[in-house]
Amino acid sequence: MRPSSYHRLHSLLIASLAMTFAGCADSLQPAKIGSYALKQDTVQSIPPRIYVANESTNDVSVIDATSFQPIGTIPSLNHSTHDLAVSRDGRRLYASNLASGRVSVIDTVKRETIASIYTGERCHVVALSNDDSQLWVANIGENTISIIDTKTFRILGTIPVGKGPTGLTFSHDGRFAFVSGQGDKTVGVVDTASHQIVKSIPVGANPHFMVVSRDGHVWGVNTGQNDIYVLDPETHEKVGSFVVGDKPQQIAFAYKGTAGPLAYVTVGSLNKVIGLAGDPKELKIVDEIAVGEGPNGIWSNQEGTRLFVAHDKGNEIRVIDTGTGQTIATVPVGRKPIRVVVSR
Amino acid sequence: MKKQVIILAATALCAIGLSTSANAQNAPVGNATNAIGELVIVRTDGVQQRLQGKGNVPLYEGDVVKTDSSSQAMIEFVDGVTVALNENTSFKLLSRWEKDMPVVRILRLKQGEVWAKTNGGPKRFEVETPVATAAVKETEFNLKVQDDGQSILTVIEGVVSFGTPFGTCPIRTDTISYGVRGKKCTKPAATDAKAAKSWMEALRTPVK
Repeated sequence: MRPSSYHRLHSLLIASLAMTFAGCADSLQPAKIGSYALKQDTVQSIPPRIYVANESTNDVSVIDATSFQPIGTIPSLNHSTHDLAVSRDGRRLYASNLASGRVSVIDTVKRETIASIYTGERCHVVALSNDDSQLWVANIGENTISIIDTKTFRILGTIPVGKGPTGLTFSHDGRFAFVSGQGDKTVGVVDTASHQIVKSIPVGANPHFMVVSRDGHVWGVNTGQNDIYVLDPETHEKVGSFVVGDKPQQIAFAYKGTAGPLAYVTVGSLNKVIGLAGDPKELKIVDEIAVGEGPNGIWSNQEGTRLFVAHDKGNEIRVIDTGTGQTIATVPVGRKPIRVVVSR
Repeated sequence: MKKQVIILAATALCAIGLSTSANAQNAPVGNATNAIGELVIVRTDGVQQRLQGKGNVPLYEGDVVKTDSSSQAMIEFVDGVTVALNENTSFKLLSRWEKDMPVVRILRLKQGEVWAKTNGGPKRFEVETPVATAAVKETEFNLKVQDDGQSILTVIEGVVSFGTPFGTCPIRTDTISYGVRGKKCTKPAATDAKAAKSWMEALRTPVK
């Protein structure tokens, strides 16, 4: 054996043994609870980043939200990475993984998955409570919401909801959670103080994605009947709807010059993003932006001047200037990007 | 050729090293060791296996184990936790992975009653119910889930961290606490904790 080969093998053996013993050492450690709480003196702001869930490559793409340059890819360590929620401080990212029924917890500073939590069959969407202390996860296969403590990563409770929960969002005051149910064609209103469903609102066929606008209205898409709907945050009544075209996917709010905020909807079959304005009772199209193949996830920047659109067929993110409707950057990502979120 | 062998050998060693720290899905997480009546084990692919009397049926991540109205059973986990199932009990075997930490063994208790005891030092072990989670290191406890999801925790020895989405409280030896949907767990009250586990004494009696 040549010395160089010997040394290489020796090094690899040592590395392997070190890894083995590291695994053994794990079992000797006492359990730590709340071990991910941040020390105040180490907290530093991190620049805004775009995160993209790639369902067919089981990972998350990371893009600089200012330069639009790719930074890296984070394996979710699970299967069918679908939805994302980012904490207000931008340090934690939570990803649902449909096929695994698990949520991946991602440390955004180290850009690695640090925990994997089983929530339920076909876990689909994730939403952080307004104080980031809890992550709510909708499990389509079990018709439940799992509640995860974001400090300990423990599941502290499960709420039975309607059939096929696929959309989830919280009211501005945090008193209610809204859960869309594909099977029931309704949105369930969950009282967050009692964890009881206090109302069930018929909204249409295949209700899916939901989001709350800056004025507190709840917006949702019906993938089964090609329209979007708007719910009043006080009365919990459906106050408007509008047909946008086949395969409406997600919604984000942004300005077009002085107009807005407009509700921008990705419409999969049209390869367009449609901007809606007006009173929720009398919505109208005021903007149409041609994009790439299969627009799905959409997010806007804080200022409401940029849209970030995930294309689940084109496997790319397009950054759109809402003032001109022009694409100012195109960033390749993983296969079948479904969801895009941007840290603050 | 020699070089290829060296690389192959090194790769294999690395793989062995990695596999010891990974949570391999084909490694049993425990064994069903005793059943009065019958214990039904439902694998993730729907295949069922049953245990009647003493035995050693391996259990895997994702399995659902259940007893009917005339059955009780005992399970030994490889990481040193013993769990008994009372009648009409069903739970799923789960785990939580966290970087640089031992895997947390989790039972998702859908219905019924379990007794659990940790052996041989601190463990990372949790029992989830529809409304609460009991997390332990070194302890012995009994946890019962009623039809409405209300969960009754009795700590026989040690401390259990009993949490609902509305707060977490430590429950200590010889005390009982209730977890109810929409509320924090109740203040611990004194109880005869040993009586809470009387139902499982038959499981410990050797079969004649």
